[in-house]
Amino acid sequence: MSRFRVAGRGRVRHDRPIQFTFDGQQIEGCAGDTVASALLANGRHLMGRSFKYHRPRGPVTAGTEEPNALIGTRRGKGRFEPNTRATAQDIWNGLETTSQNKYPSLAFDVGALNDGLYMLFSAGFYYKTFMWPRSFWDRVYEPFIRAAAGLGVSPSEPDSDHYASRYLHTDVLVVGGGPAGLATARRAAEAGLDVTLVDENSEMGGTLLSEPQAEIDGKAAWDWLAEEVAALVALGVRIMTRTTAIGYYHQNMVGLCQKLTDHLEAPDPAMPRERLWRVRAGQVALAQGALEKPLVFHGNDRPGVMLAGSAQTYLNRYGVKVGERPVIVTSHDSAWYAAFDLADAGATVQAIVDTRANPRADLVAEAEARNIAVLDGHTATGTKGRLRVKSVRVNPVKGGSIGPGRTLSCDCLLMSGGWTPSLHLFSHTKGTLKWDEETQTFLPDRKAEACQIAGAGRGLWGIEAALNDGAAMGAAAAEALGKAAKTVSFRVQNDRTGSGITHTELPTDRHPSQTKAFVDFQNDVMAKDLRLAVREGMRSIEHVKRYTTNGMATDQGKMSNMNGLNIAADALGKPQPQVGLTTFRPPYTPTTFGAFAGYHKGDHFDVTRRTPIDSWAEENGAVFEPVSLWRRARYFPQSGEDMDTAVSRECRATRKSLGMFDASTLGKIEVVGPDAVEFMNRMYTNPWTKLAPGRTRYGLLLGDDGFIRDDGVIGRLSDDRFHVTTTTGGAARVLNMMEDYLQTEWPELKVWLTSTTEQWATIALNGPNARNLLEPFVEGLDISDEAFPHMSIAECTVAGYPARLFRVSFTGELGFEVNVPARHGRALWETLFEAGQRYDICPYGTETMHVLRAEKGFIIIGQDTDGTVTPFDAGQGWAVGKKKRDFVGMRALQRPDLVAENRKQLVGLLTEDGRTKLEEGAQIVLDPNQPTPMRMVGHVTSSYRSDAMGRPIALALVEGGHNRVGETVHVPMPDGVVRAEITGTAFYDSDNERLKL
Amino acid sequence: MTVHVDLLTARELASSRAATVSLLAPVVRFSLRVGADERDALSSALGVPLPTRIGQCSRQGETEILSLGPDEWLVLASESEAAGIIEACAAIYADAPHSLTDISDREVTLLIEGPKAGELMTLGCPRDLDRLPDGEARRTVFDGVSVVLWRDGAERFHIDVWRSFAPHVMSLLTTGCGELALE
Repeated sequence: MSRFRVAGRGRVRHDRPIQFTFDGQQIEGCAGDTVASALLANGRHLMGRSFKYHRPRGPVTAGTEEPNALIGTRRGKGRFEPNTRATAQDIWNGLETTSQNKYPSLAFDVGALNDGLYMLFSAGFYYKTFMWPRSFWDRVYEPFIRAAAGLGVSPSEPDSDHYASRYLHTDVLVVGGGPAGLATARRAAEAGLDVTLVDENSEMGGTLLSEPQAEIDGKAAWDWLAEEVAALVALGVRIMTRTTAIGYYHQNMVGLCQKLTDHLEAPDPAMPRERLWRVRAGQVALAQGALEKPLVFHGNDRPGVMLAGSAQTYLNRYGVKVGERPVIVTSHDSAWYAAFDLADAGATVQAIVDTRANPRADLVAEAEARNIAVLDGHTATGTKGRLRVKSVRVNPVKGGSIGPGRTLSCDCLLMSGGWTPSLHLFSHTKGTLKWDEETQTFLPDRKAEACQIAGAGRGLWGIEAALNDGAAMGAAAAEALGKAAKTVSFRVQNDRTGSGITHTELPTDRHPSQTKAFVDFQNDVMAKDLRLAVREGMRSIEHVKRYTTNGMATDQGKMSNMNGLNIAADALGKPQPQVGLTTFRPPYTPTTFGAFAGYHKGDHFDVTRRTPIDSWAEENGAVFEPVSLWRRARYFPQSGEDMDTAVSRECRATRKSLGMFDASTLGKIEVVGPDAVEFMNRMYTNPWTKLAPGRTRYGLLLGDDGFIRDDGVIGRLSDDRFHVTTTTGGAARVLNMMEDYLQTEWPELKVWLTSTTEQWATIALNGPNARNLLEPFVEGLDISDEAFPHMSIAECTVAGYPARLFRVSFTGELGFEVNVPARHGRALWETLFEAGQRYDICPYGTETMHVLRAEKGFIIIGQDTDGTVTPFDAGQGWAVGKKKRDFVGMRALQRPDLVAENRKQLVGLLTEDGRTKLEEGAQIVLDPNQPTPMRMVGHVTSSYRSDAMGRPIALALVEGGHNRVGETVHVPMPDGVVRAEITGTAFYDSDNERLKL
Repeated sequence: MTVHVDLLTARELASSRAATVSLLAPVVRFSLRVGADERDALSSALGVPLPTRIGQCSRQGETEILSLGPDEWLVLASESEAAGIIEACAAIYADAPHSLTDISDREVTLLIEGPKAGELMTLGCPRDLDRLPDGEARRTVFDGVSVVLWRDGAERFHIDVWRSFAPHVMSLLTTGCGELALE
């Protein structure tokens, strides 16, 4: 056992050695150690290099607030994580850890050159240095900044872990398992409430884990703790360790991140690594305690300089002396106890240096009893030691003047600048804070959520005070939820209450410009940087923060915010509340992307909607494309075909004989009721009153701005029942819009809307042989041209399945759309495909559908329209009922700018050379020789190679296009200007002869 | 990237000591929309009272009616009852106008049962299902997908989900079945 491990101390298992590696070196620790405690037990403080100056650093803390001891951890392939806090990572046999931000080694790092050049890297360095010349930005400055940015190395392999998430409802959520949280949970649970208690540590207890000397109601602290946790379990309290409350959101929703496997040597590979909980709580009790503040003095960042309370934690919780010859520098009583505990554990405490002139007499007496020198009224003005502190220089301060310094030799320096209540979660709720003059801290003030704040988190100090406050807040939470709660009070012996004063920088005799007194350890922000920021005009703490990066590291300023504020306020000559506190934002501690993503990766990344026929398409080699949440077959390549070849073949086969297409994704809405026709009249531009049952009509839907929103073929099944179809992507939007109008504008209409998109599988048959294929399968309906003309609808049976049959065409060929209940979709498809072989039936996808419709000039909403196109712009004025009294968008269509002459109108474009396919989205100009920037008069919306036309065709929106038919326009492209003629939009069979079969 | 999911064959999808998830056989499912004035007429025609509180179910034989909104009910029935329901509603349509629309194929039904069925639902459902009484149902979401969720008992739920969203829901329920069994 190393000489820094104290036999019989701590909660680690001295009898269970654990082997892990740090920078390739084998390290032995005990079960229960963190990486930091195990390294400290081996006498090792140096664990990393700072971000900017590459200064050697060791742990300052023993918890998740750690700014310095950030390491890489590797748990096998695909399981590397940078910036793991060594102070919170449990060790296990085989864990690989590495230090960061060093080259070539942690002990000798060339980046430390920056440290010698610190004068160059003052606050605002980047803003000042990287400004000029402008041309340097792209090639020199940005690459340099990018190369230097970030701490640690990003993982290069895909994350092999998986992550989980759950919702949880609980009456009371208690955040923090220290004395205050435990007492809160107990009271609330005893009042009969469902209670959840979470703590980010590996076990409950908080402060109690570091203060075994306390006796609570006559019981030793750890005995009391064990009994209390058992009692909570017996009461049914949900206890979650390694669980961080990362954010506090509206209406008492708290996000928790629970770490499940990082501490395990051989976790079940099926176990999620982390679980994100979304908790909705009746009451939230914040019992997060307080964080100790460093003192700000020259050289306060050397390895071996540590917070006194953390040294106490290492000793009492982990059984590790952080040094043999500590010096304590403090402005708060609490650090004295660290000195006493270390002395009692066999360390030779060199001195207790207190900045206060008159420390408490009982503390001085205890120090004397242990032969510890006390230097009151002293300041610390510097430290020495390259990779580990070896001495500290201290000076007396009298009447504001600094006396001569003396050097105290030491192997660790334990500091305390007092304690800061943890306000993070409370601040997430936008609860207000008030400044407390006495303790020089912010405390919670007005609450914005149903929460209680207990213990050190609201400035109380000592275990007894925390327990009693916790009990009171537990009772308050219970009462707020309508439950009576007992009042109890605790008696604590050996409680270490105390107080202290706060400082800006400690007084020093060094020249300020040469004083490296660190405020933000992780971002290397020094006190002088903050003062420089104020001198250079920063007034708000938010500006000071951004100018200096103070508090902007991954610890979000847990160590630095208050010291930063005190110094900025001092420099500004204003009280702290007037300078303000920076905003705390979730997450409380860095959280993995995996935790936020949860189950949503790989196949489960997002919903992929598939039609009942999708599986056939997949089996038959379809290439798919996403269309809103759906995936649709885009084309069916045969061996060796690229998309153009396949589409060309599919188009040819359909026009020549027969094609089949899965149209199941089309939105479908059943509109039913005595006022169905009135509703349709009001929603759509078209007149519906005279549409007879059994007939269909192309419907156009506008927004109230008069622009096209959606379209589709609509069939009237009976007087009171319409089968409305919408675009694939528009289905939900159209139903919402209809419901909105129905519920808010026309509640008097007796009509109801039901989405039937997924009730039906829809198979479109197109081509001269469509009827020949279908006819033998249809029962109960004559589908001859005379009995069932174009634009008809009927209910019948197809291949034995109940069906709604449309005669409709989106290709210009004879066409039918067969709707059958979804479960039969694939079976019918296969039946038709088999039977269609004699007609060389060709399954086609969305790409062919797009080409065929473009040849006919049929528009696609969202491709040929963009939300600024009216029916008249699109050449669809014929679909607007001239005699209608009203419809959505009708008034807007009369606005002057919507009837203006020169609006962009949909036209056809044929390239002059007959070979060039225009690029969709390409801009159109009238005169290619005008100076740039040219005036653009429109753009290409659709462009395809047309097999039927034997040339490329395009649709475009062009200013005044309808009056320009026959004119030549120009499409400037990178490799030259393309000339094209404006034409009508119907390229193929403009007389619709082919429908008349 | 994609695995085809069969929605036609009723079967067990996943099972662990925590829970079992199954795809149930199709049922007849109608969306019934009707105003307050005509509600009683529909109750009489169907022989099952339309419940008035949202989330409540009433049952008669194999017919079950669930209130989903102020003017919206879900009618579940067996194949043999379907024609009778359509006829009964058509018969009173003139006097009590309403909308009865067949949505049997719009959705599929998943059954979740087992000692941790309730916890399995918390993987995707933000509602507090401890407050959902046995025999009632809610329209809610599961992993972002709109579903209707019934609580059949302490350890048994079933959900109706639109057909194309079902594979997504089934995938998370399957994952959860395994995950919960590890605890």
